[in-house]
Amino acid sequence: MVVGPGPPAATGRERLTRVNWWCTAIREPWSWTWRAYPGVWIVLLSLLVPYVVAVRRRAATGRPDPKQRRKTIQFVSGIALLWLSLDWPVGLLGTSYLASVHMLMFMVITQVAAPLLLLGTPEWMARRITAKLRLNRALRKIARPVPAGILYNIVLIGTQTPLVVDALRPNPVGSMLLDLVWLLGGMVLWLPLVSPLPELRMASYPGRMVYLFLAAAALPLVPGGFLTFSSYPLYSIYELAPRVFDGLSALDDQQLAGAVMKVGSLPVVWPVIFVLFVQWANAERGGPPPRVRPPRPPRPVTQP
Amino acid sequence: MSLRRRILGAAAAAAVMTLAACGGSAGGTRGSAFQGVELSDGAARPSFTLTDTSGRPYDFAAETAGTTTLLFFGYTSCPDICPVHLATIATALETQEVALPDVEVVMVTVDPERDTPEVLRRYLDRFDPSFVGLYGTEEEVAAAQRAAGVTEAVDEVDEEGEPTGIVGHAAQVVGIGADDVQHVAWPFGTRSSVYAHDLAVLGQLVPGAAAP
Repeated sequence: MVVGPGPPAATGRERLTRVNWWCTAIREPWSWTWRAYPGVWIVLLSLLVPYVVAVRRRAATGRPDPKQRRKTIQFVSGIALLWLSLDWPVGLLGTSYLASVHMLMFMVITQVAAPLLLLGTPEWMARRITAKLRLNRALRKIARPVPAGILYNIVLIGTQTPLVVDALRPNPVGSMLLDLVWLLGGMVLWLPLVSPLPELRMASYPGRMVYLFLAAAALPLVPGGFLTFSSYPLYSIYELAPRVFDGLSALDDQQLAGAVMKVGSLPVVWPVIFVLFVQWANAERGGPPPRVRPPRPPRPVTQP
Repeated sequence: MSLRRRILGAAAAAAVMTLAACGGSAGGTRGSAFQGVELSDGAARPSFTLTDTSGRPYDFAAETAGTTTLLFFGYTSCPDICPVHLATIATALETQEVALPDVEVVMVTVDPERDTPEVLRRYLDRFDPSFVGLYGTEEEVAAAQRAAGVTEAVDEVDEEGEPTGIVGHAAQVVGIGADDVQHVAWPFGTRSSVYAHDLAVLGQLVPGAAAP
């Protein structure tokens, strides 16, 4: 039985194996040798380049958005966080070695990168995209708090199930699918709060706070508990991976992942709830009015 | 019945069958009480004498007689198989879910040149201080492998014939019951839940009892 990695100096074949479409589960000892994941770059560039081109074209038409600079920073920050989460080394650690890093990736993608991408998308761009993809009707249904909260938690539980993770992570396409579903799930979670389309945002401040707490902080406590209190490592990928750190067993790592699932969203959720509370207080005192859902236009009456 | 319902019914049936198939033994021998690979040849507890990490002679058969024992041949520089086996065994032994017998875990180094008693002890302590580490001369270790019925380890060499520092060795852990018979082997990839299950089965064995 041949055991272990090749010699330290990489041969041509080994260099080739360090290029893969997407971060996938591998059965090799962890190494700080850089690996290339061109799929990650292509997907992220396919989001970034059209964004930049569209914003420049818009600016060239003489209708610049006064908030565009801030929005660009938010969008690029979202892309940068996605890149940090999905590419080497974090991406490989999370897909192959450590359940805790896998969970951290999930949290960063759904709780930080996804809302930043939404915040960074200007309204005119969002309207153009939704019209082109004919998403208007679906978005109106999904962006309500109950469907959005349920959908996000289905994504959270479904994509953290050991059967799903163990099946999808060893495959580049499956692994990419998992990460993209996380991103979409995160966007769905944040749509009622920071949608680029004002009519999709929830009007009520208390409603927003309750929604965010229940959907992003309270419900994940349940699956997080399963990870924390399980007697055995649940994910075979992480259990059978060579250890990265001495002293961090697969079970310890899984418990850490459970803790991340349970409290990982809190550094985002509570500050956002605080900001919403302050905005609510300002609105109550007659400050800047909250952005409310505009009334629906009356339906045209058709004559038989 | 509409076509849509038929398709949904067929998909549900396929899902149930898939789940039922997944719920079976985890790679174990069909019809066996073990989830690992059952050894049906009834080979006895191997007999060999090596040296433990405190420098004392260790007569394997005598020291572990009547005890549920896991025997493994590996080495401390092993990048993947050995640490994963030892970690999953250590996790299984910590479980509170099933009643486990007293288990002696013995690792024999197949790399006695690099694995000094101190190195071996320090390595095993990372997983469980109760794990026993044995070493010997190359001939003694080879004899121990033959006694245990596992493939003898070989030093890997590269294309120019230079040693790579990697040792090819048997990747299975052998499970010996309190009846002093080798009952089960766990290949690489065995999960801690499987170890815990099989150790509980091994723990039900008593000297002179029939195999499970």
